[in-house]
Amino acid sequence: MPEAVLQARGIDKSYGPVKALRSVDFELRGHEIHGLMGENGSGKSTLLKILAGQLAPDAGAVYLDGEPIAFGDAADALAAGIATVTQETTLVPELSVAENILLGPRKPKRWWGIDWRRTRSTAVEMLGRLQLDIDPSVPAGSLRPEQQQMVEITRALSMDARVVILDEPTSSLPDDQVAALFEVVRALRDNGVAVAFVSHRFNEIFDLVDHVSVLRDGQLVGGGPIGEYDRASLVHQMIGQELENLTFETRATEHADPVLRVRDFNVPGRVHGVDLAVERGEIVGVAGLVGSGRSALLDGLFGLEADAYGEVDLDGVEGVASDPRAAMNRGFGYVPADRKTLGAVMDMSIRENLLMAQTADRMRVGRPPRGSEREACTATIERFRIVTPNQDNAVKNLSGGNQQKVVLAKWIATQPKVLMLDEPTRGVDVGAKAEIYKLLNQIKEEDVAILVSSSESEELLLLCDTILVMHRGRLAATLSREEATDSKIAYYGMGHG
Amino acid sequence: MNNGSTLTMMRQFATRRFFAVLVLFVLLFAYFAITQDKFLTSGNIDALLTGSSILWMVSIGLTFVMLTGGFDLSLGSVMAMSGIAMATFMNKWGVPLGIGIVLTVLFGLLVGALVNGVLIGKVGLPFLVVTLGTLTLYGGIVNLWSKGATEAIVSKDLTSIAFNHALGIPVPAWIMIGVFLIALYVQRSTYFGRDVYAVGGSPDAARLSGIRVTRVLIAVYGIAGLLAALAGVMQVARIGAASPQVGGQIIFSAAAAVLLGGTSFSGGVGGVGGTIIGVLLLGTLENGLSVSGVQSYWQQIITGVILIAVVVLDRVQTVGWANAFRFARRPPSAPSATAPPPAAAGSQS
Repeated sequence: MPEAVLQARGIDKSYGPVKALRSVDFELRGHEIHGLMGENGSGKSTLLKILAGQLAPDAGAVYLDGEPIAFGDAADALAAGIATVTQETTLVPELSVAENILLGPRKPKRWWGIDWRRTRSTAVEMLGRLQLDIDPSVPAGSLRPEQQQMVEITRALSMDARVVILDEPTSSLPDDQVAALFEVVRALRDNGVAVAFVSHRFNEIFDLVDHVSVLRDGQLVGGGPIGEYDRASLVHQMIGQELENLTFETRATEHADPVLRVRDFNVPGRVHGVDLAVERGEIVGVAGLVGSGRSALLDGLFGLEADAYGEVDLDGVEGVASDPRAAMNRGFGYVPADRKTLGAVMDMSIRENLLMAQTADRMRVGRPPRGSEREACTATIERFRIVTPNQDNAVKNLSGGNQQKVVLAKWIATQPKVLMLDEPTRGVDVGAKAEIYKLLNQIKEEDVAILVSSSESEELLLLCDTILVMHRGRLAATLSREEATDSKIAYYGMGHG
Repeated sequence: MNNGSTLTMMRQFATRRFFAVLVLFVLLFAYFAITQDKFLTSGNIDALLTGSSILWMVSIGLTFVMLTGGFDLSLGSVMAMSGIAMATFMNKWGVPLGIGIVLTVLFGLLVGALVNGVLIGKVGLPFLVVTLGTLTLYGGIVNLWSKGATEAIVSKDLTSIAFNHALGIPVPAWIMIGVFLIALYVQRSTYFGRDVYAVGGSPDAARLSGIRVTRVLIAVYGIAGLLAALAGVMQVARIGAASPQVGGQIIFSAAAAVLLGGTSFSGGVGGVGGTIIGVLLLGTLENGLSVSGVQSYWQQIITGVILIAVVVLDRVQTVGWANAFRFARRPPSAPSATAPPPAAAGSQS
């Protein structure tokens, strides 16, 4: 077994009364990809920050090659050879790829200025080592998200990083780009780097990592070579109990009397001639890569795309909604993918968020009825099992899953005829995912038509009665639940159809 | 749950900037009361209150604008222009005082809503550029309209607004209390008040929830214009004349008062309750120092120091002393303009 590069011993960390980590021992070895698993709030991020030297533990110490470390910030950690890559990139979008890669270790000329030729050639060499086909002279901002992450990894490599921490790098990437990213991560490992990897997607974990450690409530509850685990045992260790096996009934639908009928719908440049229909009490899924027009389709139906056109008929009301209010008045509800800037107002209370859409058409000088609002919110919080000390709590203080439940509850309160959701469980942990699926199924029972767009085909296969696959803005396939499989979705999604 | 939520609320309260400013205000007030014989006389307290009345109006209006994440540089010019407008209404048109005041306040409302409000809320131009433009524009109009001269408005009733007492309390103080209570009601107990916070917190989320963001923005710039005009009326009442010279620096004091009160430039947090504490602190400082016979330059210096100290204290409360002076650590409340928002909540443990 290779030697430990980075070691943490007896780490304790508290935030006020909350114990985030309790005497955790953890180590990363060279030539190894180490998966760190745990639900949101289990202490993963805290541990990674401590490992990267960005956060000081209350007790215990971190050793790099046996030497204790204490860093003040990311620059110190980088200088020592520890690089962190998250899905939020730290590239400067206006600078070129080469400049970004060599942003820290610039190539100065002898007296003044920067040796651009050497900068470029070093960047080319580094990109080559990871076999990346990226032009070093284009601005970093023009790259796709996964390419930007690869540039960050390249940068880490160019600084001779010996430890690379990947904190949920894949959560906003579609499958084919994830595969490309994994190739790079494996190349890193083969170069001798110690890699820590965090993801909520189990297939990624089993696909990529060599060794796994599981955190629960701030304690290390297990770990070992990935070969000793299967999905069920890993989930069991993460949540401390068996996850019930979810299956939902499907409805064979004829689309004889759909509540939503869309014909030849277009968003110039992004969605081309899409037809679809959703029955009451049906869940229709939209699969496809990022950029396939899935999100633009939902945005367009909700009145967020000014130049969208086509035939839309929602329960007898025709025409494309011109703005979100118009869409709401027709009976649309929309849970957008980005809950932090679009789904909820993070600084406002749970109650104010829950009521925001429902009360949007009240007289603005009117006075909200405090008592009945409180009662209604208490009931909603109970029904959706939102974990919070009280309804005055700001949404930003909730975990991802609970935030998403607030957004979902907000739209259900408007009693929509058609509820649209984009990436309904992005950044949500296993337990909350199952709850959100159950809630969607309940709403379906109440005869709401549901249109779900997702990059996780597992999710669509579980939930949907019908799955539409989009490729480059067009409908590539329509699959019933019976005929849909993971590989068919991937096949049509790549444009082979 | 009751106990728990009271405790959380107290904790939130204690970490708010305005609590620190409230303590500072009380200490400063006590200091002047103890060290200066002339400070705690009823005449001087009246002077402190009436002296703060103009800043009070402008700051409350500015609070609504800043809660939406905007700013209005033009309020000083609107205030001066409203005074000149009032002189025109009363001296040229000969309208009685009551109607003159109503017309002036409506004038401020329309100017704020139709120019700043429409350009920012409807057309979508950046607020700093728009209000810098209107600041200069209105400044020019003020001088052209008044021909650069101060115009007296002779009215006994007008003077009494500035200097009389009712039930032992100066009339301007009654107006201040009334305006504050109305503003507090609008902010806390109407759907519009919620809209203001929602638009400041996240304009896109607000729009997606069906809130008419354009109308909210037009309304807040209208409110700011209205209160600036009311400040203009009170200014005219105090000096008995409409002067083109007034309002030049008021926006800086108002911004300081709003920031001290806990409302931030990024919007969505704070409120008028904090703002009035900020105004009272600045008013006490000015009054107390002048009673002490200290040069007025010191007031500017101390105001500046307090403002910076309070913002530093904010930072210390969010990130702790050790990290407070590191450039790399942004406080979590500051949203970054360029980085894409983390779509996954990740594992914030």
